[in-house]
This record gives sequence, structure tokens and C-alpha cells, in this order.
Amino acid sequence: MAHPLPQTETSSDATLIRAWQSGDERAAAELVARHARPLARFLAAAGAPDAEVDDLVQETFIRAFRSVDRFRGQCQFRTWLLTIGGNVLKDFGRRAARRKVVPLDEGVRDVAGDPHEFAEASEAEAMLAEGLKKLPRLQREVFLLRAQQGLEYDEIASALATTPGAARVHYHHAVRRLKELVK
Amino acid sequence: MNEERMIELAQHLGARAAERLNVAATARNVVARLQEPPVERVAWIQQTWLRIAATVVVLIGGSFALLRLRSNEQRPDVIPHVAHFVADDLNDLSTDQLRDVLATFDEVVSDSSAVPESSPDLRELDARQLRAMLRSLEG
Repeated sequence: MAHPLPQTETSSDATLIRAWQSGDERAAAELVARHARPLARFLAAAGAPDAEVDDLVQETFIRAFRSVDRFRGQCQFRTWLLTIGGNVLKDFGRRAARRKVVPLDEGVRDVAGDPHEFAEASEAEAMLAEGLKKLPRLQREVFLLRAQQGLEYDEIASALATTPGAARVHYHHAVRRLKELVK
Repeated sequence: MNEERMIELAQHLGARAAERLNVAATARNVVARLQEPPVERVAWIQQTWLRIAATVVVLIGGSFALLRLRSNEQRPDVIPHVAHFVADDLNDLSTDQLRDVLATFDEVVSDSSAVPESSPDLRELDARQLRAMLRSLEG
């Protein structure tokens, strides 16, 4: 029998994870509430079609909660979640390519789906999104983890199982390539 | 565009998608789905293994068939079926080919009146005689 822990705004992610592992579903719901929007921003910026973001967020949380035993606290829970989101998005892209329904590369700015929304987006933002689509996946994710999510290289390196130096190199390659692409 | 501007813009990317997300509904759906067994993934794995197995069978079968075809091509002693020769224009066959064909009819030939008594050995016949014999067998 699980004993739900009292959850407050100050409960750490680690506390909530332990509570979820003990069977407390409210802890899972609290973790979703904390991290769903940053995850949605990351997925949308990484190329998820707007119409799919909700499903991809859910799928990411499901995958994370089901494999939470593998999370050893090597990085923040959110960082770990974002890397899982990257994998979920990659799998989605493969499925979409097989079905030829929603090509991932056309999903960053869903022009046909919502022209009004597209009109609201600034031109520079759209150009950056277009540039990001052309980057290798690792460079794109490192760039977003650093530039959008504001993570340190140590944190990024821990999440991606690489070194801080390698993460820095990926970031700088991404910036250099984006400068070429977005003029 | 400089790096600072890129960072500023990157922080806005995906903002609308995030605002539209119904966090409470997402949390409810996630919790509900966590209570279900992960059938979908198991089914996906089974499908994937079936596809891999089918691919392996096709590859092995195809390789085997190809090897047999190649080994037949490389064996000069394998004579194509007699019927093929009979159907072809006999004038296109060389003396050796005609001799090979007739050799397969050895038993038939031995009882045939088309074989001259004085030449019981097919090796002693020239191309004209071999053609005449084959035409007589063809009927």
C-alpha cells in the first residue's frame, strides 16, 4: 500500500520521483505539471508539428515514468526528460516518414495548418526554426538545451552521456552553422 | 544574426505550443495511461521481429537460389535439355553440340535404323551426318 507523500511547491523532483516509485500517482501528476510546458517548448522548437505536441509530451512522460528506475540523478529530472523527448520525437519522425503523413521537417512551422499563427511569428524566429531543421540532431538538441533551456555544459553532457567539452563543441558548431543558414 | 539574438529567439521558439498545452488534462491522461499495460510497445517489438525474420528468410532463400543458378552456369558438363536443342535450328549447332545431344540419346540411337551400320560410334560421324540423324529422330 502506497503512502502518498505530502506534496508542496518545494517538494524536490527527487522526492516526487520516489513517491511515484512507491505508487503515488499524484506525484506523477505533479511532475507533469512542473515540466510539461518546458518540454512542449523544447519539442516544438526541435521540429514537432504543433498538432502533435500534446501527444508527444504525453508519450515522453509515459516513457520517462516507465523507465524512471534508470534515472540515477546524473542530471536534473527535466534535462533527462528533454533527452527522452528528443528520442520520442525521433521515433515520431520515423513513423511519420513511413506513413508519409506528417513529414517532420515540415512541422516546425505548420504553415498550412495554421496560417494565422504563422503570420504572428516573427520572420527572424521562423528563419531560426528553419535553420534548426537543417542541423544534425545532436547539434540541434545541444543548441536548444543550452540556448532555449539555459543549461550548463556539464548538465548537457551528463544528460547526453558525453563530455562538457564535446557538448561545447556541438553548441559552437550549431551556432556557426546557424549563422551561415540564417542571414 | 549574432549568437545573442539567436539565444533570444530560441527562448521564444515553441512558446505558443506550450501555452496551448492543457497541463491538467495532460497530467490526467499520463496518469491514466500509466495504469494501462504497455501493450503497444510489445506489439511494436513483435511486429519488428516478424519483419526482421521475414527479411532474413527472403535473403537466405534468394541467396540460395542465386548460388544454385551460378553453380549451374559454371558447370560446362551440364547439358541443357534435349528438347531445347530439337526446337532450335539444328544448323546453328556445332559438331560438338550435336554430338553431346546425340550422346544423350545413346540408347535410342542404338535401336535406330538411322545409324549407319558402319559407324556405330557417334564420334566418327561428321556434322552433316549428325544433323541428318537428329532430324530423323525429331521426326
